This record gives sequence, C-alpha cells and structure tokens, in this order.
Amino acid sequence: MNYEFDEILETIKMTEIEHFDIRTVTLGISLRDCFDPNINQAKKNVYNKILRYGKNHVKYAREIERQYGISIANKRVSITPLSIPFDAYNWEQFVEIAGVLDKVAEEIGIDYLAGYSALVQKGFTNGERELIKSIPYALSQTKRVCSSVNVGTTKAGINMDAVMMMANVIKDTAEKTKERDSIGCAKLVVFCNVPEDNPFVAGAFHGVSEPEIVLNVGISGPGVVLDAIREAGNVDMNTLSEVIKKTIFRITRAGELMGRNVADKHGVPFGIVDISLAPTPAEGDSIADILKAMGVEDVGAPGTTAALAMLNDSVKKAGLMASSSVGGMSGSFIPVSEDQGMIDAVERGNLSIEKLEAMTAVCSVGLDMIAIPGDTPATTIAGIIADESAIGMINDKTTAVRVIPAYGKGVGESVDYGGLLGKAPIMSVRNLCSKNFVMRGGKIPAPMRSLTN
Amino acid sequence: MRFSEDELRKITLNAIEELGEKASPDLVKKVISRAVSSQSSNDIKPAGNSATEGRAILTAFGMNKPGIVAAITNEISKYECDIQDLTQKLMDDFFTMIMILDISTSNLDFAQIQENMSRLADEMKIKVYLQHEDIFRAMHRI
Repeated sequence: MNYEFDEILETIKMTEIEHFDIRTVTLGISLRDCFDPNINQAKKNVYNKILRYGKNHVKYAREIERQYGISIANKRVSITPLSIPFDAYNWEQFVEIAGVLDKVAEEIGIDYLAGYSALVQKGFTNGERELIKSIPYALSQTKRVCSSVNVGTTKAGINMDAVMMMANVIKDTAEKTKERDSIGCAKLVVFCNVPEDNPFVAGAFHGVSEPEIVLNVGISGPGVVLDAIREAGNVDMNTLSEVIKKTIFRITRAGELMGRNVADKHGVPFGIVDISLAPTPAEGDSIADILKAMGVEDVGAPGTTAALAMLNDSVKKAGLMASSSVGGMSGSFIPVSEDQGMIDAVERGNLSIEKLEAMTAVCSVGLDMIAIPGDTPATTIAGIIADESAIGMINDKTTAVRVIPAYGKGVGESVDYGGLLGKAPIMSVRNLCSKNFVMRGGKIPAPMRSLTN
Repeated sequence: MRFSEDELRKITLNAIEELGEKASPDLVKKVISRAVSSQSSNDIKPAGNSATEGRAILTAFGMNKPGIVAAITNEISKYECDIQDLTQKLMDDFFTMIMILDISTSNLDFAQIQENMSRLADEMKIKVYLQHEDIFRAMHRI
C-alpha cells in the first residue's frame, strides 16, 4: 500500500473527530465593467454578472466536499470594492446597489457577500464619501452584504478623518440594527493594511489588481492543532513548534487541493490559500483552547501573547512550505464572539480589550467581534480604531477593528447572534476621553518603514 | 469544452493558412468550426471530471462481526471497481479496513458509489468513508 495505515486513519480522525474543515471558498468577481450612468442598467449589470459566475458556486463546492470527505463550512463571494466602479453615485444609489447584492446572494444560495468597501487611507473621492455615508443604511436594509473600509497603510499613514467617520458609521449602524443586537456592526470591518485577496468575510473584497474572476480558499482547523498539542504533552517549545507545523502542513495541503478543484470546476483561476487558523463557536474549535493547551491558565494570563506569537509563526512557516500560493490574512484569528474559549475568558474577567490589543500585534487580524457598551462615545471608538491601525501601520501588518457598540446594553449583558457569529459578552472600555486627539483630523504621516526603497 | 492557449493558437494558424486572402465572415465560420471539431476529435479532451478519474480510498470501521469484508467487496465488485490493495486490522473487538480502489473502470460515478456504500454501512451498522486518493497524497506526501 502506498499509504501507511496510520496516515489514513489520521486523516479520518482529523475530519471526523477534530472538526477539520475548510473554512471558506470565496469566489472573487470583478464588477469594474458594471457601471452605467443609468442606475437601473447598473443594477442589472451587477445582478447578471454575479449570477452568471456565482450560480454554481455552492453546487461545485458541495461536489468537492463529497469527493474528498472534508466539509467546506462557507461558500461566499467577494466583489470589487463597490466605491471603485460606482464612484459617480450618491449614497442612496449605493444603498440600491446593496439591495441588488443582497438579492443575488440569496439567489445563488450564499450567506454572505463582501466588498461593500472603500479604500481611503490617503483621502476620499466623492464616491467613497457617499459609500461610507450609505453603510449604516445598506447594512440595516440587507442581510447578506458585508462592508469594510481601509483607513490606513504603512505606505500612506492613517487617515484620521476616515477613522472618525468610521467611528460614527459604527455607532449609526449599531442604532439602525438595534432590534437584532446591533448585528450590522458584525458585518462591518475597519482595516489598516487590508489584503486584497482575503477570502474571509466580512473583510473580504476582490482587489483592484485581481483578475476578472478568481477563487480563494481559507483554511481552518484549530481543533486539529489543539489535539496535536494535547497529544504532544509536556515538550519544549521547539518540539511544540514542530508539532504545530506538521499539522498545519497537512491542513494547508488539503485546503489548496480542494480550492484548486473548486476553481477547476468553475473553470476559473485559483488565487491563494489563506492559512489563517479560524475558530468557530463549536466546542474544541477554539484558538483560546490552543493557547491554554500550550500552557497558560486562561487567555489573558501573562505569556498569552508569546504563546500566540509562536502559534502564529509556526502556522505561517508550515503554510509556506505546503503551498506556493499563500496570501490573504494568513495568521491566527482571535475573534471573541466566534470562539467559546475567548467568550469564557471574558466572562471570567481574565481577558480585557487591552490584552486583546497586545495580542493583535503578533497575529492577524485585530479587535474582532468584540461587543462594547452601547453608550461608548464615537470618539472613544475612533481612539480604538486609531490604536489598532497604528499597530498595523508600524508593524507592516494587517489589523482591523470589528467592534459592536451594542445599542442600549452595558457591561454584564451580552449580544447573541447564533450560528458562526456566536455570542459576545459586553466588555468594558476605559472611561477616558480621546476626543481632543481624534478630533484633530488630518493624517498621521506614513512611518519611517514606509521608505524601503 | 475548453481549449488551452496552445490549441487555440494552432486552430488560428491553421485557419489563417487555409483562408489566405479570400476571407469572408461565412468562410471564416466554416473553417473555424471544421478546425475545432477536428481538433476535438483528435487530441482535446473535455474538461476533466476528476471525480471519476483515478483511485479512491475506502475506510471502514465498526464492531467486528462475520461478513463485513465479504459484504463490502461484494458490493464493490458490482460496480466493476478494481481493488488494488487491502489492509485489515482488528483492535480488540474493533474492526478497521482500508482499501485502495481504482474507480476509473467503474460504471458508476464517485458520488453514486459513495451513496451506495453509505447505504451498505447503515445496514451493517459500521462506518464507511470513501475519499478520493488525492487528499491523502496532498496531506501526507511532500
């Protein structure tokens, strides 16, 4: 036999017991040819194009799932940042396009479509201003549309006007979706150094340098890494790193194989594998549990950041060895609401926003799916976004903020969305004022390391 | 049907040569469609359906009892799959079998075989997984 008995059993164990799945196959579709001065024609163009390319997406992914016996949790679509093709539109027209996106997403059978986005790190075009203004309306009137705005890069610095604007947009979105625990904010990400080929919704979009259409894949697998670390027992750090690397190698290989096959079925080019460890609220599918298995008592204990740094670095090393097409975010995700271990740590009072911020300096992506009191001032949220963006800008990495100022709720309560978005206990935010800093406006200039030539 | 860039270039060059200076829309259409059909009958395969190509690995688990191997191999033989390798182990009362199958000769496609095997697994009260070989090669070979 070409395969060892144990190898085959290990694969079965990964898929059947340890929740190993591919987190997402995301079809990126360019909408740059969809503009028309007549909005009704543009709506038709958008609808027809997404339907044409996306109609078999779910079917093809299911066929590949069956063929390899590994499930693909999410089948999604990302589009060109909408402000680019439709720069001439006003905010009401953008909301109309959002309605079309929602409808076509439902038609092709996907739960989320991402790319209601603008890239404004260096300043706004008129269309970008309009799109940002429309976000609270678009997210409250649709179910499946996800939005993101990039406010900073290492090359351009941080656009503080955009930071303040996004803080207000987050507050508005929270209010407009208050009946459902401010769920609009769970579909809105503010980025620094956003990758253009990220397959993970809500922050996905189809970047301007991407081809007409492309298929990207995001791996998952915290459960598999957790079991491998537990089995390894009390070994030193080097050995532990080896254990993580071996596991991630297999996961990445499986992810790339499946992604390529889905792309083949579509007859479209394969883009990248995003080697992020992405948790789900399911028991055992948790980054927090991995950190605990590595030896810290709970997430938030001193040592947590170092453990996360090593985990994240091992993931990257193995992923790069396994695939020549690594891209996207490629790091460990530490969302709070989507990871039962993180939720527990917050509820036990062990994990604060400040510790999470430190952790985001060594992994992707940022302060993700964190619920904060509904009465948090917009200027404080702007301060949080500015801090997170600064970490990204200075360290030349992606950071993001997806906070939910839960309308009408305070510390001690929680927001619960069910499904993959999970449940988030409301975390306390320091009651100190950032207003005089964030209201200065203008730009934080690009840092020293932007000058690499 | 899909063509590679090389094949497209070949078709185009043939058409140019044949047309010379007398090209008209109708003539171009005729020449191209002839070139395409002759090309496809020669060396272009339709876009591969990898699900029916190559080998699959069947893994069966369950409490040991007489007749498991017989039932599975009997079922497999109905689909004209070739069993290329078979390993079986008993751990206490727990039965494990791994089989490598060539499914390219089968009269059923991958999904149908999978469906039939899962029906058999339910009847026998065991677990049977059928996965394409590629996944094992990807995960365990550098």
